[in-house]
Amino acid sequence: MKINSSEHKRVFFLFIALFLWILFICSSLVKIQVVDYSKNVAKVRAQSNFIFPMNARRGTIYDSKGEVLAISVKVKSAFLNNKEDPQSLALFKDIKKQIALTAWEKANIEERIRRGEKFTWIKRKLSPEEYESLKRIKDSNKSNSILDFVEEYKRVYPQNTTACHILGGVGLDEQGLYGLEYELDDTLRGTPGKARVMRDARRKAFKLSYLNEPLPGRDVYLTIDSSIQFFVERELQKAVEQYGARGGTVIVMDTTDGAILAIAGYPAFSPEEVKNTPTLMVKNSAVSFIYHPGSTFKVVLAAIALEENVCSPRYEFNCYNGVYKIMDRQITDVHPFSRLSFENIIIQSSNIGAAKIAERLGKTRYYNGIKKFGFGERTGIGLPGEEKGLFKPVKQWTGVSLQFIAGGYEIAVTPLQMARAFNVIASGGYLAEPYILKEVDGMFLKPKPGVKILGPVTTQRMTNIMTEVVNSGTARKTQIAGISIAGKTGTTKIIGKDNKYVPSFGGFFPAESPRVTVFVVIDEPKGDYYGGDVAAPLFKSIAEKLLLYLKIFPQLDKKNEIRI
Amino acid sequence: MMKKKSSNRTWLLVTVIAFILVFTYLSLNLKSIDSGYEMQELFEKEQELKEEITKLQAEKASLLNLDRVEKVAISELGYQYPRPDQFIKVFAESANAEPANAEQANGR
Repeated sequence: MKINSSEHKRVFFLFIALFLWILFICSSLVKIQVVDYSKNVAKVRAQSNFIFPMNARRGTIYDSKGEVLAISVKVKSAFLNNKEDPQSLALFKDIKKQIALTAWEKANIEERIRRGEKFTWIKRKLSPEEYESLKRIKDSNKSNSILDFVEEYKRVYPQNTTACHILGGVGLDEQGLYGLEYELDDTLRGTPGKARVMRDARRKAFKLSYLNEPLPGRDVYLTIDSSIQFFVERELQKAVEQYGARGGTVIVMDTTDGAILAIAGYPAFSPEEVKNTPTLMVKNSAVSFIYHPGSTFKVVLAAIALEENVCSPRYEFNCYNGVYKIMDRQITDVHPFSRLSFENIIIQSSNIGAAKIAERLGKTRYYNGIKKFGFGERTGIGLPGEEKGLFKPVKQWTGVSLQFIAGGYEIAVTPLQMARAFNVIASGGYLAEPYILKEVDGMFLKPKPGVKILGPVTTQRMTNIMTEVVNSGTARKTQIAGISIAGKTGTTKIIGKDNKYVPSFGGFFPAESPRVTVFVVIDEPKGDYYGGDVAAPLFKSIAEKLLLYLKIFPQLDKKNEIRI
Repeated sequence: MMKKKSSNRTWLLVTVIAFILVFTYLSLNLKSIDSGYEMQELFEKEQELKEEITKLQAEKASLLNLDRVEKVAISELGYQYPRPDQFIKVFAESANAEPANAEQANGR
């Protein structure tokens, strides 16, 4: 076949066209791949690479048995990608029918949409039901890119109000606000990270690489036993409601090492609602409520007096038939006595007798003894807001301070300081540092060894006297058949308030080999107000449950015994 | 003539090798992308399962919440707290009158 000149020309032009086309393609490729390489790579990366922050999970808080007290779970939060106001407003109209929002929140969101703000939170940390209903709206809506969701962590407290004053709570961004959540924030809060995800044209992720791997917060185990905590809170609530009191506090401590088994406060609150709870309610009264200890402080006086060998338990003191005048002040007893022995002063809770013991002890020895018990100092338990109490240096004491401190006035303490003082006698003379943190991320925290401040003879004598307080003294309402309990009542008149009192009771059991120390304070009960009438029965009801739970079995009637 | 034939064979061989190389490169690349998808899916699945475990932990804790347990025991199952006289102390004779099996509540 021969090609004529016209065909030859056409083929030539075709080749030229093809050549130019190939040249154009090649030059375009060179432009894309070489000249604009960096620019195009950046463009591709911007389209396919997404760098997003990764929240770190907050550490879980467990009780001593491994029961969850606080845990963080992932939830969805909804927001609007506001592009066009009318569309966003129409969508929000549907949204607000589905989820609970306050009138203020609704108005605020609408205002933000109208202002043209690109990003507007609808609601953070949605419940599963709210998320489902909003997801349905998103899926059914044509412009479904307006409504979107983001994952966040939400702090959950599965035991509801149990241990609320210990745990405290967190803010919206999981930052610790109160309680241990605040105190241990650095331990619990993890380190957020960043990750890069590569997505294809359909926005499907095909590669994830961490820029900074998020480090979850560390898990924490407490010494708290959630079962004890639960029934102590329950009994406290009953007592506070029964006496119409303002509130109350109970501390349960392991006698041997000062581990806190329960700290209950009333009124309680939900840690999940901590942001909307008045600060006063959130405060842990065990460490922040300071009050005059009243007659419970006679235990400290008696222990110091015995340790200093001021007198024997049978030594008798003049009790002035119920009225003792010192300078321009007078000290009275509820039941007048002419003379009482040292031990009967404690058993009958004589204020005058206590004043006389203090006089015999002297200011310096008494002051030093009180300091040894740790009053006027924080216990170091590691709960936020702990108060030191008020204890004046001996130089600032007035002419009646010695006698008034003996009766538990002119000194202010926290319930925890008192629980620790009672525990000194229960533990055979050791001042233990109460602690609540048992383990962090598998590492056991060794409690500090207690400091011996009383000898065995003193603690044995004090235990005998305190057992007698329960058997025949002011605390007969704490008696439990078959169990020996040692304790002391206290009733404090609130200075500056008419007919307002703070009854309290501290004790430990079994008296012969104590396992637990319990301290109870009721704030301003109505009607009955004596420690023996209000705090002692509460102690008893808690002790009965503790005995069962800790398998401490009382010597019961023979009819209830079976021999096999 | 022989020279031309040999040159053609070389070109053919080079082309085949180049084709194989390009094909291998592309298939490996595609496989790596596929693996990327798979890894991403597995990673997401792992995260989901971890989250599920956490949620179950929280749910278990709330179901074992003593307040709820007490309500269910009393209102649904008819349990009561035992009275003091319902505690029976069991002694083993061999243990020289020491409590053998602790106490038991004889009532529900």
